[in-house]
This record gives sequence, C-alpha cells and structure tokens, in this order.
Amino acid sequence: MGLSLFESVHWAATVLIEVVVLTFALRRKLFDQLPVFTIYLCILVANEAIVSLTYSFAGIRSHTSFYVYWAMQAVQVSIRAIVVYEICQALLSRYTGIWKLCRPLLITLGLVLAGSAAATSRQRVHPISATTLMAERGLEFTVVSILIFGLIFCRYYGVWIDRHLAWIALGLGFYSAVQVANNTFLRGEPMTHLPVLQIIRQTSFNIATIFWLVALWKPLPARQPAPVLLGPGEYDRLAPQMTLRLRELNSRLLEMWK
Amino acid sequence: MTVFLAVLASLAILLAVFWLLFGSPAAEPSLSFDTREIEKVLPVNCRHFPQISQLLSQEDIQFMRERAPHHIQSKWRGERRRILKQYLSGLRQDFGRLERLARLIAAFSPEIRKRQEWEWVWLALQFHFSYRMVALKLAMGSFSPEGLAGLTEMIAGLTSELENRMALIAEHSPSRMRTDVGG
Repeated sequence: MGLSLFESVHWAATVLIEVVVLTFALRRKLFDQLPVFTIYLCILVANEAIVSLTYSFAGIRSHTSFYVYWAMQAVQVSIRAIVVYEICQALLSRYTGIWKLCRPLLITLGLVLAGSAAATSRQRVHPISATTLMAERGLEFTVVSILIFGLIFCRYYGVWIDRHLAWIALGLGFYSAVQVANNTFLRGEPMTHLPVLQIIRQTSFNIATIFWLVALWKPLPARQPAPVLLGPGEYDRLAPQMTLRLRELNSRLLEMWK
Repeated sequence: MTVFLAVLASLAILLAVFWLLFGSPAAEPSLSFDTREIEKVLPVNCRHFPQISQLLSQEDIQFMRERAPHHIQSKWRGERRRILKQYLSGLRQDFGRLERLARLIAAFSPEIRKRQEWEWVWLALQFHFSYRMVALKLAMGSFSPEGLAGLTEMIAGLTSELENRMALIAEHSPSRMRTDVGG
C-alpha cells in the first residue's frame, strides 16, 4: 500500500475510533435525532474502506487515488455542511418563530459562501491540487460560518444546547477551523507540504472524532417536549409596547450624555 | 502575512465556537413561560428608586453645601457618586432583563417579525453605548441626577406594564397558549 509503519498505525487508530463512534451512535439511537450525522459517520467508515482499496489497487501516488481521495473529501465536507444545518435545526426548530427567522438566513449564508468558494477556486491558475485546497477551504469556512451563525441565534434567544449536541458541534467546528488555516498555509505549494497537510488534517480529524465520542459516551438526554407557545397575536401585541418603551429609554439616555 | 491572518482567524473562530457552546449557560433546559420565569426576567433595581431619590434630593444637596465642612462635602459627593454608579449599573441590569424578556417573548411566539427583532438588537446596542457614555460622565462628575430619575421612572413604568401583561398571559395560559411541534 506504500504507507510507513507510523502512517499505518495512525490509519488503523483512525478507523478504530470511527468504528467506535459509529457503534455508539447506533447504540444511542442517534439516528432519531440526527439522521444526517449518523449517515455521515457511516460514510466515514465506508470512506476508509474505499480509499484503502483504491490505494491497494491503483497505488498511493496514482491519479486515480488522488481523484478518489478528493472526491470523498468533497462528499464529506458537503455532508458536514448539512450536518451543521441539521444541528441548528435540532436546536432551534422547537421554537417555531425563531426557526422561521433563522432558516432562510442560514440557507442564504451557506449558498453565498459556497458559491463564493466555488468562484474563488475557479479563478486559481495553480495546479488542480491547489484549486482543490482552495475549494475545500471555502467549503470548510462555509461549514463553520453556518455553525457560528446558528449558535449566535441560540445564544441570543437563550436556547439550551444539549451536551451531546455541543460536543458534536465542537468537533465539526474544530475540524473546519483547523482546515481553513491548514489549507491557507499550503495554498502555494501543496504538493511539497503534502505530508504536513496530511498530519494536521488527520490529527485534527482524530481530535474531532474524540469530541464525538465524548458526545455519545453517555446516554442521550430524553427529548424535551415542544414548548408551549404564546397565542398567535401576543407577539404583535407585546412587541410594539416593548419597542416604544425601549426607544424612549434610549432617547432619554442619549439626552443624558449629550 | 495571509497565513498569519488565517491562523489568527481560525483561532478566533475556534474560541467563538467554544464560547458559544460552553460559555455561561443561556437558559434552563425546560424553559417555560410561567410566572416564576417571568419574575426572573422582570427588572428589579428600578424598584429601589425611592431610596435613590432621597440621595438625589435637592434639599440634601443644599443642606450639605450650607452646613457641612468642605472635606465632609467632598466625601459625601464621592460616596453619592459611588452609589449612583452602582444604581446606574443596576439599571443596566434591568435593561438586560427587559431585553431577555423581549427574547423570551420572541422565543415563545409562533411568528416573529424580522424587522422587529433587528430593531431590538439595534436598540440594545444603542442603549449599551449610551450607558457607557453616561457612566463616563458620572465618573467625571459632570452628571445631573435628574436624568437618572427620569430613566428610572421609564424602566419602572415599562416593568409595571409588562408585569401586568405577562401575569395576564400566564394566568390564562391553558386557553391562550398552544403546544406546537417544531419542524
């Protein structure tokens, strides 16, 4: 296969952690809460098998291996973006009004950032590997941006984040943030620094999977019942009062310091 | 330079994610719109205004000017400023509680208005900026206590209105609220 002993051990450890995380996810019935994330964990394990087989048959330095590897990375980063959206949905959809406000913003943000990532990478005159890294960096930035945007909503409206969701989100955010820096570092001469790229990529991924293991280590909390919502007209009745008073309060405060 | 900025940005992103996820807990897991919850978010500091208004009374100021020796006067002024500062900080807490209440109303409403929510964000930003300025003015000793009195009355007025409104909603909750399956 052309891997050194260290690389083989590292690869074996990675596969082991992924299998353990998947086992825990299935045991904890995570599919009921986060179906896309559970599918993503299955894809991770499948990815190891596919890449490993490709390396065995085509050789690690072949074009086939290169394209298979990056195609799988593209699939994974796309699914990670959907997983992040799924986490935001799991957190916010119980609050109908907030979710209705947040969802279009999340989708727009995702499309704009992914579109700009595609546009930027197409402008590159570097070899394919550099273009791929640029595209990946843009997509990872999209993933982490969607996550941060959703979490800002949670923080602003005081939405509770369950422990397991927090650790899963941290794993996704951590990996994406590291990749943004990693791919920027290697944008000039990616092939020269490929081993460094791989070490950082794999180590950060291992850390992310350990975060997911922490998330699934304990049984998942029971799903909270949907909150009792106010009547449809209450917001329209209360909001103008609040706004008027807050405006007055501000203008009074403004007068005081001027 | 780009690499340095990218590493810095990634670190900032990581810290932001960590803080947003594990920073001080935002709310209880079983957040509900009951009377106890409402009490937790209604302003409390503005209720101490009678004691503060005594401190702000013109008679006291006049009395101190006429009767007290200079060093006692300056000590009194310093102490008064300290209390006013604390009170102003209390009012900020009250404003924060009102903000929290506004968000609670939004969280528990099946429909919210984007424009309205942005306006609340903007008003909160304005308030915090103005608050800093007033606090600075107070620290520099060029602050009129009458302004503080007006501000307190406004927060108290808003509190009283909301208290009544919220109590009404909570009392009639079984008939006025509905369970919604989010999705």
